Amino acid sequence: MSVGVLERPGTTGAPEPSGGVPARRAMVRWAWRLFRREWRQQLLILLLVVVAVAAVVVGSAVATNTPPPAGAGFGTAHDLATFNLSTPTAKSPSRSPAAVERQIALLRRRFGTVQVIENETLTVPGSTQTYQLRSQDPRGPYGGPMLQLLSGRSPRGPKEIAVTPGLASELNLQVGDTWSQGGKTVVGIVQNPQNLLDDFALVPPGQLQHPSQVTVLFDAPDSALKTLPAGLNVATVATAANHNLINPSTIVLALATVGMLLIALVSIGGFTVLAQRRLRALGMLESMGATDRNVRLVLEANGVIVGAVGALAGFAVGLAAWLAYRPYNEQSAHHLIAVFALPWKVIVPAMVLAVVATFFAAGYPARAVTRVPVVVALAGRPAPPRQIHRSLLPGVIALVLGFVFFSLSGAQRNGGGATWLIPGFVALVAGIILVSPFFLVLLARIGRRSPVAVRLPLRDMARYRARSGSALSAISVGVLIAVVVCAVAVARYSNAFDYVGPNLAPNELAVYTPPTGPTFGPSGESRPATPAPSVSSQQDTARAIASSVGARDVYALESPAAGLQNPSGSGRQWSGQIYVATPALLRAYGIDPSSIPSDVDVLSSRPGLAGSGVQLTYGGGIGGNGGGGSSLGPGGPGGPGGQGGTNPCPPGSCLAHPVVQAESRLPSGTSAPNTVITESALRRLHVAADSSLQGWMVEGANPITSAQITNARSVAASNDLSIESKNEAPASAEIVDWATVFAIALALGILAMSVGLLRSETASDLRTLTAAGASSRTRRSLTAVTAGGLAFLGALLGAVAAYVGLVGWYRSNPLEGGLSDLFDHVPWTNLFLIVIAMPLVAVLVGWVLAGRDPSGIATRPME
Amino acid sequence: MSYLELHDVSKTYGDGIAQVHALQGVALSVDAGSLVAVMGASGSGKSTLLTIAGSLEDPTRGEVFVDGRPLSTLSRNGKARLRRQSIGYVFQDYNLLAGLSALENVSLPLELDGVAARKAQGVALEALEDFGLTDRASHFPDQLSGGERQRVAIARAVVGGRRLLLADEPSGALDSTNAEAVMRQILAACHRGMAAVVVTHDAQLASWADRVVFLRDGRIVDQTMPAQRPEAFLADLPNA
Repeated sequence: MSVGVLERPGTTGAPEPSGGVPARRAMVRWAWRLFRREWRQQLLILLLVVVAVAAVVVGSAVATNTPPPAGAGFGTAHDLATFNLSTPTAKSPSRSPAAVERQIALLRRRFGTVQVIENETLTVPGSTQTYQLRSQDPRGPYGGPMLQLLSGRSPRGPKEIAVTPGLASELNLQVGDTWSQGGKTVVGIVQNPQNLLDDFALVPPGQLQHPSQVTVLFDAPDSALKTLPAGLNVATVATAANHNLINPSTIVLALATVGMLLIALVSIGGFTVLAQRRLRALGMLESMGATDRNVRLVLEANGVIVGAVGALAGFAVGLAAWLAYRPYNEQSAHHLIAVFALPWKVIVPAMVLAVVATFFAAGYPARAVTRVPVVVALAGRPAPPRQIHRSLLPGVIALVLGFVFFSLSGAQRNGGGATWLIPGFVALVAGIILVSPFFLVLLARIGRRSPVAVRLPLRDMARYRARSGSALSAISVGVLIAVVVCAVAVARYSNAFDYVGPNLAPNELAVYTPPTGPTFGPSGESRPATPAPSVSSQQDTARAIASSVGARDVYALESPAAGLQNPSGSGRQWSGQIYVATPALLRAYGIDPSSIPSDVDVLSSRPGLAGSGVQLTYGGGIGGNGGGGSSLGPGGPGGPGGQGGTNPCPPGSCLAHPVVQAESRLPSGTSAPNTVITESALRRLHVAADSSLQGWMVEGANPITSAQITNARSVAASNDLSIESKNEAPASAEIVDWATVFAIALALGILAMSVGLLRSETASDLRTLTAAGASSRTRRSLTAVTAGGLAFLGALLGAVAAYVGLVGWYRSNPLEGGLSDLFDHVPWTNLFLIVIAMPLVAVLVGWVLAGRDPSGIATRPME
Repeated sequence: MSYLELHDVSKTYGDGIAQVHALQGVALSVDAGSLVAVMGASGSGKSTLLTIAGSLEDPTRGEVFVDGRPLSTLSRNGKARLRRQSIGYVFQDYNLLAGLSALENVSLPLELDGVAARKAQGVALEALEDFGLTDRASHFPDQLSGGERQRVAIARAVVGGRRLLLADEPSGALDSTNAEAVMRQILAACHRGMAAVVVTHDAQLASWADRVVFLRDGRIVDQTMPAQRPEAFLADLPNA
């Protein structure tokens, strides 16, 4: 055997203090090997990243693909001109065919290629429903994305036609059948992939005798559009697109950022434990000549690897989930969605954020490890906790900044200042992170006279703040978000003037009479003026609808010639419909009409309306935001007054102090008769005779099914009525409850991950305690107190920080009712659940799950 | 010529009544090619002596010279470079990096020093060959026996032209056969010109050293030249 001191080979390039690329490669290689060997220890962090990225992929894909595409209706063109040849509208005045021909010729001359699509509105025989007879060239230069052949072939001659699946079903047509309205043969089934609700029959170009609307697609330079003749109704893809900064992508990205911040905070604890486990190996590395930078690189590379693997796996999981969900999304969005129509501008930053989050989470303990003396590291002893006297001041300053930013946000554009809201949240989160260590120490001081099973874990939390502080911050941030949502939802839904909530109960259906003259229906859709059917015929139709849904009750909704208004010109104004408290309506809700005192003017289920100072306008003094004869449908926006000061309340047309009686038996839906004016009040005000029939309310014994709603809509349309059923708007209780569930689940999840890490730091103490005769009760107490202490402190800090921001926002917000709006509607139950009940659950779970004997009493487990 | 010199080195831990004098005024020099054994009771300062000599810790007082360079003048990175290029450590519990194979463990100091991986592994393979571990090159530490692990650790300590070998109880966890094999390799390294300091409790193994230093309460209380070196062991060493 020989032992040689082998000569050193030459280094690559100029020698660097940290060994250059070869050293970095060696460190990254080792980090990769460690990840592979110890993936179980990193599984929790990995799963967090996978779930977060997968949620971003699915969430952003659904959020961005559900609305119609920005270019829907444009095909591949950038510009679109529409000409209305029948009913004029404000945006598209009626024109003669010759004038339209001239305009099209002008566009062709100016911009070269154009594609003309003509539409003629036809009625489905025996129904009020309409569809379009469309003349479009399937091979036109721009319209390709708006036309897809599903079966058969495209029509080629004057005797051929193709129909959409919906229309084929409506007219009971198949390929080869004859289209009865024009004697043409159906040769194909087509659809508009950008709008599956677009029911039309397709004929070749030039086949329409009386088009009602002509659309011209073309490409024009932006500057050229300005030179077009005035009155030409031209839209561009850009103007049609939503320019709102708060679009679905932005919201998902913002949520992803918050999620990654939470992951980073939680991960710090996990990476700290990993660094501790690798302390001896890292010491060995340093003894061989690795620099601090090399050592940091190992841990940071590990963080990047965890983030990258998690991001890629999360993307794969999210993509698979999206591919599975996409067909359902197409059905609900009513347009086709390409397989890979994913918002890459959201997904890629989210994946990068995941890597950045784990990089920083791993970097924190990495820096701490390099401060451990090599000899201590080689011995595998954790560095003794350093006494850090961290000031509370930076945290308080950050919270004050958060308060200021929220105040600025509230004062901006009636509370819509997202510009200041984001730094406000950032400052509050920073404040929480900075004050957390102080409160951990405070908690330990408070518990210094408590029994050892309580004193020890409280002291450990203060000693090992790298782990407990990050867990505490993560819990607090989660609670902060939840409490903000709870408090804002409760305050917003409690505004007596601009009452917010679901429109109807699931068992309710509103049937509305047609409006007089061209106007907008309850849901805002434009409806052509048609001769009004008789009231008795409409009533019969309403009863038929009630019968079809198995209704137990149907009663008329009468709109009074009176309205309500907020006495203050600033803040939210009255919104919603007001009805007459007819005996039938009152009896429908179990209210005896004779039990209403004769001096009562208004009955309302809106919380707080009785004491709000609401004014009653009538006759010629009906407020602009009032109900009465207003053409605003239910749920129409009241909007801010904006004018400031007070609303006028002239005697003779306004009652400054009407008698309002709270009546909880009235329904709470915003479209339901939640506020009614008594007949006696209308008589007193001499407007009783001016009430008009608005429609009927149908109340089923059970929730009304979607099939029943479709049938009711069809029946209503046959008599020019319209219906309104329960929409998807959540109730205040739903929002608040889900936010509470989110906060509790998040906090318990973080505790599940971090309490184990915290206790592992002090595993030797546990062994010593066991050896000294401590029972399982002591061990249970240690874990329970750790979990409960962190949960309580985190929830308290998060709730306080949330109210710091909210106080700033409400006090300066002209739209809301000031601080009273916030403090009059504190969600006490939910705060109790988050701040008190959740920590108790954490204590209980900690107690139940702890208590197992430590695996080795006298020895450290071998790595 | 002395490769390692300690001049009046003292090391104190803690403050006040908790103050511990781990080393007090230690002076020691180790020539290139010589083996010095350090013996002493637990807590006598043996390991501290080794960590200070290897630049892992700074002395409270005194100066350490390695190859004529005073360690006190070196930066943290400078000391790291010195360890990469000149000093090899061997510990009682091997301290191989678990995620790396035997070959990668041996090549690691070279790679840390900027040698390209392929080139470093070539040199490391030669070192493993010298230690009779070629067939174990791709094995991970947990797939090696205790003796093999320590041989890999020694290969790692000597690879790349290092001149100073510091071994803390290198045979403490081994049976007598493997312990002798390890000492034989350390001696062989010294015969190739390395200076070596070995901390040991085993008088039999210490007797192989050129000089034995006895420590008590942080002071050198005695230095002896072993009366009889086990020449038989050295007979089959190259250049012996």
